[in-house]
Amino acid sequence: MIPGTAATLSGAAYVYGIVPARTVLPADASGVGEPGADLGLVRHGPVAAVVSAVSADGALGTRRDLLRHSRLLDAIARTTPVLPLRFGAVLADRRAVVDELLAPRQARFAAALAALEGRAQFTVKARYVEETVLREVVEREPLIAELRERLRGQPAEATWYERIQLGELVAGAVARRREADSAALVGELGRWASAVTWRPAATEDGVVDAALLVERAAWPSLERGVEGIAERQAGRMRLRLLGPLAPYDFSNELMEEN
Amino acid sequence: MSTAALARRNPYLERPSSSSLADVVDLILDKGLVIDAYVRVSLLGIELLTIDARIVIASVDTYLRFAEAVGRLSLDRERSQPRTLPDLLEDMKPATPPKVARHVLQRGKEAGKEAVSKVEEGVHKVEQRLRGGGESGKTEDS
Repeated sequence: MIPGTAATLSGAAYVYGIVPARTVLPADASGVGEPGADLGLVRHGPVAAVVSAVSADGALGTRRDLLRHSRLLDAIARTTPVLPLRFGAVLADRRAVVDELLAPRQARFAAALAALEGRAQFTVKARYVEETVLREVVEREPLIAELRERLRGQPAEATWYERIQLGELVAGAVARRREADSAALVGELGRWASAVTWRPAATEDGVVDAALLVERAAWPSLERGVEGIAERQAGRMRLRLLGPLAPYDFSNELMEEN
Repeated sequence: MSTAALARRNPYLERPSSSSLADVVDLILDKGLVIDAYVRVSLLGIELLTIDARIVIASVDTYLRFAEAVGRLSLDRERSQPRTLPDLLEDMKPATPPKVARHVLQRGKEAGKEAVSKVEEGVHKVEQRLRGGGESGKTEDS
């Protein structure tokens, strides 16, 4: 047996994402799992998979694993189109990466990567400053103001149901604001993006999480634009801008289209 | 694209240079391409993590918390704390020149004088407070 072959074949292949075959990986990148796992490309025609060796019986998912998966793909996305795979994709070995992953989808991967040329994802997360939005609700909704007034200074035990009713009214009013604010924000962000997808943020203070696919030429104007929105909303909403990122929110859609 | 432009800082916008663990969990466990060909390795505690991140239930607890939070708000018209000097100065600003001018136009000289004396009274009060503060400072020093 040739030394090294057995090791290569028995090692499972962890797959990060799909890139054009010409891609050069960032020099300082490191992979998930065992330290020093060889990170590289498995090429097939015009496309390639970014892979590293993991032991098939090990478990993944430490904080370090998650961050390395994400940082490697985001670093690639700064310069090169990339289709990021969801965390945890492992194939039996490098040969399976070609036979089972790349070969059957080569044309669709190539088309999706071509569509991503010069674009990366940016994510905008908007959160309410709770005190401000609650103040708005009390000041603008007479029913809530009235009930709040009536409950002030009353013992909590004696007004249990009224308090639940007040809270429910407040939650409803906040939800209506969230809907209106999300629509406005997503509409505005759309100006800089070639595609937008969004969902309501999954926290009580959340407004919206929006993902934008943005052409490289528009990155600076997007950044200035989001700064402008953040400044206008200061004290009412907090905005967080992430990117350029690998296009996690658009990959499945791009593959379905191609 | 210059990295300098991306690294620019704006005080109103959170702009981390790389994603936090929470941002990453949101993206790479929930989104990204899913290919039916692969086998998943066992993932440490991750299923729990994602479930936690998605729990938002409008529950009785949420309602009670909201009710308490709106109860705690101090609205401008209910402010009960003793008013401070900046508060007084703030209140006087809109009440001075424009109002005086309007009174003079509408009700003639007498009303004008009245308004002016009201303003003077206010200014006098503020001056007294200022002087009072200064004097008490002095006595403590000596």
